[in-house]
Amino acid sequence: MTNKQDFIEIKGLIKRYPHAEANAVDHLDLTIAQGEIFGLLGPNGAGKTTTLSILCGLISATAGSVSIDGLSMKSHPDQVKQLIGVVPQEIALFDKLTARENLLYFGQMYGLTGKSLRNNVENYLRRFGLTDRKNHRIGNFSGGMKRRINLIAGILHQPKILFLDEPTVGIDVHSTNVILEFLREINQQGTTILYTSHHMNEAENLCSRIAVIDYGKLMAVGIPAELIRSHAGCENLEDLFLQLTGRKLRD
Amino acid sequence: MWLFLIKYTASTYKETLLLLRDRAGLAMLFIMPAALVMIMTLLQDSTFKVLEEKKLSVLVVNQDADTFGINIVDGLKQSKFFHVIDSLNGKVLTESALREQVAAGDYQIGIVVRPNATRNIRENMKYNMLQQLPDEHSDVFGSDSIALSPPASIEVFFDPVTKNSFKQAIISALREYSSLVEAKVMFGVYSGVFEDMLGIKLKQQGMSTRMVNINEQYASTDEHLAVPNSVQHNVPAWAVFAMFFVVIPLAGNLIKERESGVSLRLRTMPGSDLAMIMGKVTTYFMVILSQAILMLLIGIYLLPLLGLPQLKPGHHYLALFVLTATISLAATGYGILIGTIAGSQEQSAIFGSISVVILAAIGGVWIPVFMMSGVMQVVTKLSPLNWSLNGYYDIFLRNANLMDILPNLTALFLFFVTCVSIGWWVNTHKNQPV
Ligand SMILES: Nc1ncnc2c1ncn2[C@@H]1O[C@H](COP(=O)(O)OP(=O)(O)OP(=O)(O)O)[C@@H](O)[C@H]1O
Ligand SMILES: [Mg+2]
Repeated sequence: MTNKQDFIEIKGLIKRYPHAEANAVDHLDLTIAQGEIFGLLGPNGAGKTTTLSILCGLISATAGSVSIDGLSMKSHPDQVKQLIGVVPQEIALFDKLTARENLLYFGQMYGLTGKSLRNNVENYLRRFGLTDRKNHRIGNFSGGMKRRINLIAGILHQPKILFLDEPTVGIDVHSTNVILEFLREINQQGTTILYTSHHMNEAENLCSRIAVIDYGKLMAVGIPAELIRSHAGCENLEDLFLQLTGRKLRD
Repeated sequence: MWLFLIKYTASTYKETLLLLRDRAGLAMLFIMPAALVMIMTLLQDSTFKVLEEKKLSVLVVNQDADTFGINIVDGLKQSKFFHVIDSLNGKVLTESALREQVAAGDYQIGIVVRPNATRNIRENMKYNMLQQLPDEHSDVFGSDSIALSPPASIEVFFDPVTKNSFKQAIISALREYSSLVEAKVMFGVYSGVFEDMLGIKLKQQGMSTRMVNINEQYASTDEHLAVPNSVQHNVPAWAVFAMFFVVIPLAGNLIKERESGVSLRLRTMPGSDLAMIMGKVTTYFMVILSQAILMLLIGIYLLPLLGLPQLKPGHHYLALFVLTATISLAATGYGILIGTIAGSQEQSAIFGSISVVILAAIGGVWIPVFMMSGVMQVVTKLSPLNWSLNGYYDIFLRNANLMDILPNLTALFLFFVTCVSIGWWVNTHKNQPV
């Protein structure tokens, strides 16, 4: 099976929030091929979360279109939703439930049940080094552990496409490494990944391609090494980013 | 369909777990309403006793030392509603003293029977009779000409704060005694005429007994049914209030889910939101239902131990259960509605509690509907708490069965359906995908 070139397709996408003065996403065009790890990079307020939210069907676009594996969210919501896994920027879990209860619940929300779901949950907990904590309430977890559970909740149904919104924000090196390693692993097994980040080094190492956006506009897109080479005076993505956006990464 | 069922069961289970984990919240859901029912019943029981059992003190000055005045005072004295006071500090009450006391608010009602009341009645009786008699008998009352006298008069002084219901009670009591006494006086006049004209002496002053006896009965077909008491008003009233108060934790739950991003995450998953909403409905329905049952049990078993009357739940347990379940459903629906339209926890807590308090007030939880003014008696129909409370009244007091309370059940169920539909619609249409 050959990989589809326009697995995720974003065409002329515009989003203006009600009462906003400018577009949060401004004429964005992007295509992402099957099997890529694609990094969507941009400073705070660039429109990363907005773009992901439209892709996941959480908010509607003002103009333009998005499709996933040729399907639009509007005409085939349930099919698209089965294809995608979403790991939101904030920790969207129940503090009063244990790690295991949280995961079982979100698994069931995808229609998974029974032994296969339970095994699935156990495996992921082991994979992320959380087996001994599985019966503890999430509320008492560290930020890094919460992030890991937050991630597992989005992949229990083995999606073909995984959207991650800043999955490594605010956590220590160990947790970051566990997560990145895992992303590489499932990517090798065929999962297409679209993720957003502030960490340029991380993106440089992880991504097959990246796009830099600012004020909702596409500033550059391509393979990290090529982008760095084609922009004079840039030694790494950090430099490129500064050149393109005129801003430091973290303000 | 399969997906819906899985999501529905998982949501119900999750909500139950969350509730069980929140010990403090759960305790509040059960202990607070239980305390509420007991405290309010105890408080209102004393109010009811004031209304029903404690006699209302009335000051009386009788300036007519004759049949009318004496009988009126006796009638008031014999009534179980009034405590008649005709002397203060060992001194016989005067009109000015009476006015002073009432004006000062020490007593709410003062009654003055004007002088010559009996004489005036008698004279007017005779005058009327003369008008009816043929001219040749115009001397039955002697040769003095008889003129129309002013009517006998009773002044009633009220403290301005006196409740309308008290005023009505005293006025109608006075009317009743007056007509009895009038009849008595009339009988005396007639019997005098009888004796004079026909030489027949009637044996006794009759008419002391009533010819029409009005019995107050509660319209129920069952002899064993008790008359309403404070418990039968208060237990269902506060139970309904507490049931609807569950909108606050329920709406809070919905908003928390929205603020934590969980509901956004859930929206990225296949299938309908309705499964999650119905999961919440099921869990909270069970909570409200158990809460209501607890409160009814308190009415039946605990309140008697506190010296209050026992709640008699009527005979139609099925109707009672179906009504309680439907109210639980309506309350759940209201919570879902508030949880979806409120923007934040604060908004929902404030709007939720105030709206329930208002609906309770107009629904007759605080002040029973029959005590309300005319406009309010119509407005009250707008409150689902009124539909609920009336259903309980029907079952407890009128021995209603399932068919009798069908209108209440229908209204409550439609309220539930409307709330959930609006909530669901708002939930899905707030954000439309591309
Ligand atoms: N719900 C909303 N209503 C109005 N404006 C919004 C809303 N969400 C985001 N915005 C605005 O849209 C722009 C893009 O926001 P977005 O959250 O997509 O940025 P981001 O790239 O994800 O930023 P961050 O790195 O801080 O997460 C910002 O200017 C933001 O203020
Ligand atoms: Mg963001």
